[in-house]
Amino acid sequence: MERSFKAEVAKLRLGAGHTFTGEGILAVTKALLQSGVSYVGGYQGAPVSHLMDVLADARELLDELGVHFESCANEAGACAMLGASINYPLRGAATWKSVVGTNVASDALSNLSSAGVVGGTLIVIGEDYGEGASIIQERSHSFAQKSQVWLLDPRPNLPSIVRMVEKGFQLSEASNTPVMLELRIRACHVTGSFETRDNVAPKYSRRNPVPKPVFSLERIPLPPHNYTQEKHKIAVRLPEALKFIQREQLNEFFEGELRQVGIVLQGGLYNTTIRALQQLGLADAWGASRIPLYVMNVTYPLVNEEITRFCSGKRAVLVVEEGQPAHIEEAINAILRRADINDPHLVGKDVLPVAGEYTGEVVLKGVGEFLRLIMPDGVDLKQVGSLLDGVEQAKKRAAELLGAPVPTRPPGFCVGCPERPVFTALKLIEKELGGIHISSDIGCHTFSTLPPFNLGNTVLGYGLSLAAASAIGPNFGKRVVTVMGDGGFWHQGLVTGVANAVFRNDDGVLVIMQNGYTSATGTQNIASSPDLRPEEGSPIAIENTLRGLGVKWLERVPNYQVADVADALRRAMTTDEKGLKVIIADGECMLERTRRERPVAVQKLAAGERVVRTRFGIDEDVCTGDRACIRLSGCPSLTIKDSPDPLRTEPVTTVNSGCVGCGLCGEAAHAAALCPSFHRIEVIQNPSGWDRFVHGVRQGVISLLGGAR
Amino acid sequence: MSRPFTILVAALGGEGGGVLADWLIEAAQHEGFPAQKTSIPGVSQRTGATTYYVEIYPEKGARPPAMALVPSPGGIDLMAASELVEAGRAMQNAFVTPERTTLVASTHRVYATAEKVFPTDGRYDAQRILDAAPKVAQKAVLFDMSRCAQEAGTVINAVLFGAIAGSGALPLAREACENAIRSAGKGAEASLRGFAAGFAQVLSTLPAGERALSPSPSPAGGRMEQAERVRREFPEALHALLEEAVVRLTDFQDAAYAALYLDRVRGVLAVDREAGGDAGGWRLTAEAARLLALWMSYEDVIRVADLKTRAGRFARVRKEAAAKDGQIVVVTDYLKPSAHEVADILPPAWAERLRRNAGPGRAVRLRSSDVSGFLALRLIAALKPLRRRSARFAEEQALIERWLGAIKRLGFAVLDRELALEIVQCALLVRGYGETWRRSRAAFVKILDELVENEQAVAKGADALKSAIRKAREAALVYEEAKQATAATGKPVIWMKTA
Repeated sequence: MERSFKAEVAKLRLGAGHTFTGEGILAVTKALLQSGVSYVGGYQGAPVSHLMDVLADARELLDELGVHFESCANEAGACAMLGASINYPLRGAATWKSVVGTNVASDALSNLSSAGVVGGTLIVIGEDYGEGASIIQERSHSFAQKSQVWLLDPRPNLPSIVRMVEKGFQLSEASNTPVMLELRIRACHVTGSFETRDNVAPKYSRRNPVPKPVFSLERIPLPPHNYTQEKHKIAVRLPEALKFIQREQLNEFFEGELRQVGIVLQGGLYNTTIRALQQLGLADAWGASRIPLYVMNVTYPLVNEEITRFCSGKRAVLVVEEGQPAHIEEAINAILRRADINDPHLVGKDVLPVAGEYTGEVVLKGVGEFLRLIMPDGVDLKQVGSLLDGVEQAKKRAAELLGAPVPTRPPGFCVGCPERPVFTALKLIEKELGGIHISSDIGCHTFSTLPPFNLGNTVLGYGLSLAAASAIGPNFGKRVVTVMGDGGFWHQGLVTGVANAVFRNDDGVLVIMQNGYTSATGTQNIASSPDLRPEEGSPIAIENTLRGLGVKWLERVPNYQVADVADALRRAMTTDEKGLKVIIADGECMLERTRRERPVAVQKLAAGERVVRTRFGIDEDVCTGDRACIRLSGCPSLTIKDSPDPLRTEPVTTVNSGCVGCGLCGEAAHAAALCPSFHRIEVIQNPSGWDRFVHGVRQGVISLLGGAR
Repeated sequence: MSRPFTILVAALGGEGGGVLADWLIEAAQHEGFPAQKTSIPGVSQRTGATTYYVEIYPEKGARPPAMALVPSPGGIDLMAASELVEAGRAMQNAFVTPERTTLVASTHRVYATAEKVFPTDGRYDAQRILDAAPKVAQKAVLFDMSRCAQEAGTVINAVLFGAIAGSGALPLAREACENAIRSAGKGAEASLRGFAAGFAQVLSTLPAGERALSPSPSPAGGRMEQAERVRREFPEALHALLEEAVVRLTDFQDAAYAALYLDRVRGVLAVDREAGGDAGGWRLTAEAARLLALWMSYEDVIRVADLKTRAGRFARVRKEAAAKDGQIVVVTDYLKPSAHEVADILPPAWAERLRRNAGPGRAVRLRSSDVSGFLALRLIAALKPLRRRSARFAEEQALIERWLGAIKRLGFAVLDRELALEIVQCALLVRGYGETWRRSRAAFVKILDELVENEQAVAKGADALKSAIRKAREAALVYEEAKQATAATGKPVIWMKTA
């Protein structure tokens, strides 16, 4: 795993009266234990990976409490796990990255919510939306609505988040309905503190198992119970939930002197909205606002009484709701209309953008525009105007001074990444065979779509690349190449992709990137990871799995040997053999490898043992700067610098000190017959006597030959 | 204080921006100030641009205020950037404003892929950021923190932290900052060194904008026999350049070859003079002389073997690899000589036969720090005297003459220095190795065939010809991949809004 969470695990043990200090997602983890969960599961992904990672490191504490923890095969598995709470009073939690994870989980989610739960069930979703997000942009809100799962969107500070976790379980039990807790990226990583309570050992757990099975046909989605379940949601569960939300005051009202206007907002946007009000001179440092606020920590279901109470008698109300469709704004419009409250001018996605993240700038402009439109008494509109103009002018002036926008800098493959050479090879093969349609997947390897590779024509979801090639394959003039990570393979690709392709006798090429972990999410273990934890069972080899499925054409190549990878690809593309051809591109994630090997090397060095450090170099007088190497690699440590040659005005290519010596540049120089500038440098640290002797002899001879060192 | 002090840190994945944000929080807590930070790690940690946002309420024991999780344009007190273009990005997004922002940024560059893939020079003009910084910030503190970190033997985040603390804007005492580093434990000593270096550097830093990125290398003054001739026959503005070229070509072949070079440059000088070149600082001659010198010292295997066995090479490699005294360095060269490269140094008749059956070449890993490897390279380098009789030598000289002839012919005919310069710059295409070189050279010949030496194209007039040549040259320099790189606006990942 990417990092150790030993220090964080200690914080999970804090008892009543202590102060927990740390990031939001870990506060959630602690709150789960305080709520007496029997089990926790999920699938890793930013921004909720840390919840899983810290629990994986907290095995001892979980054993003491009897809490079952597992990292699930995928989000569908994680959601299905919550089925334990359908018949038994077991509190449980699942977590994943949303909206993608919720998409995968939605089959189980529908069935879970239809059956209803007796044990409190909380789904912690990391809403990966806006800056820093790496996935398609949709909102999870729609899932809550269509499945009738209650959606919490707490104010992004630790006490609020923790309270909503605890209340979430109670709400779930009070209404027999699963509850989703939505946290945006920045809320997951925000730091803060809260007063802890004792952890609660669950009533039923591994330590105190459920004594006997409960059978209830009403929980099974067969006619007529599927019909009654739907009606039960509306007739019984929803009213119970609304009662609980009001009684416990989960939503918050903040008074303000400018009563003719008001702002309705999602809890998660509270701090951003307050900052905008502060900048506009309408709130103090502690958030006391001159404009009344209705903060919805529960964004589904809406509480009609609260909304009508807040809006009544106001001239205008602004709805700050991130994402689209504008479910909340539209619902409020309908609620007010039905209640025959027609006075307030409801403003929302007319002054705020319909789509996209509500950043500081967006909300500032939106609130400013709202004030300019409504012109409430007691607001200095001049100040509002000059502030908004100031921002525009600052941007304009910077743009003028800079002359051209600065270059973008998307994420890419790490230095020494084992996946990069595979794309180098693919590029070489493309030069030979002409353009290839490449079906890409989710994972680090998705970066191959970016420059300099620009390889990958479609991305359809995690583990879905092979399935996504099934129709274009037979309709394309050449074999289609599918790229899939080992993470994607175990998540979905094994069944949806490989098994079906073998079953249909598809004639495609599949490259499986075997780097050993789900690297993009923080190098968590998967079924084929080389170094499983004691509690994880023994690794399942992908190769055996494929053979077991009946894959006949199967090759395994070490990634860094670009020419060999290219040869394998060529064979796969040109063989007469029909059926699925699989290449396992083998190379351990460099981050994980370095993390394991570096401390060992440091220790050896300190002990005076011989350690060889390898890196690559470019002869600056041999390089002519055509950048053919960079266009075949994109390695961050392969870069450019001012040429030391006074006759060359253009920069020269260079390898910087970040190089880990993976060898790709040398192999690429060979495979593509690039240029003779590349060389491998091995620095022998703590050389042995023999090393020194041989070195001395060589040095002597070479000096004689005119090559003084 | 009526509002929190806001700090936005822009960094690249793996530079320790997160640790820096942790230090800031720790230092604030040490002072008893409420503070909050957040970040958007996600995939940004994989080498992309990312930001960390910190708010500190500088009042001891104060009730925690409502702190924001997102930076607001016009609302940043301290903008810290670990790299220059990231500082530019912050300016672009109005996170640096004259009313309140202190900008603390490193002037070094980490080039983005989009800048690196270009065959010529695709670098963003960094000077613009250096010039803009003092104008858009209330105060700008800019220096090369990467070098500072290297000298202190630490990571850039420590230097950046020191510079932030030294900028005078941070409401935290130096001691609190240093304690924060200490309490983080691991690697504290090196970090403290970097912190101190950054702190000290701020005090001695020149006002921003007066610092150049790095001085452009000045031509080394090699004094050879030809130097006399250079001084006698050429305008002073060209002396340094020509002397450098003479040294290079004497080294490449011999004195006679250098003399041939000067003869050739004189031909271009005549055109330049006729067209009033002294007024333009002899730009035409200078550019032609520069490119001609590079071309005439083309990279055949003899040249490469020679460069790889130079006395200074191993020292340079040692330095680059940061090998310490007592450590042994082993160098392995990755070579792939094909029949083409061998043919290049053979007499023309043999070369032709060999080229006809040229295969893909043989990958060789030559250990040039071994006696055998070194000796092999030395032997190849020793073929230098035979180069004059090689196939490639003849071919290059012929093409050079064609190019020079065209420059002179069209230059004299229309007396248009800009046109001549366009033709001169086409020589940029005649470089590189292997397939890249062959492709690029073919493009050069095509420009000669279809434009420069084509009567119809010439008849269209100097302006039309100029723009046609430029277009063809630029098209040949931008490879398919680079074209895609520039067209890559449909970014799948949003790392920083530009809107």
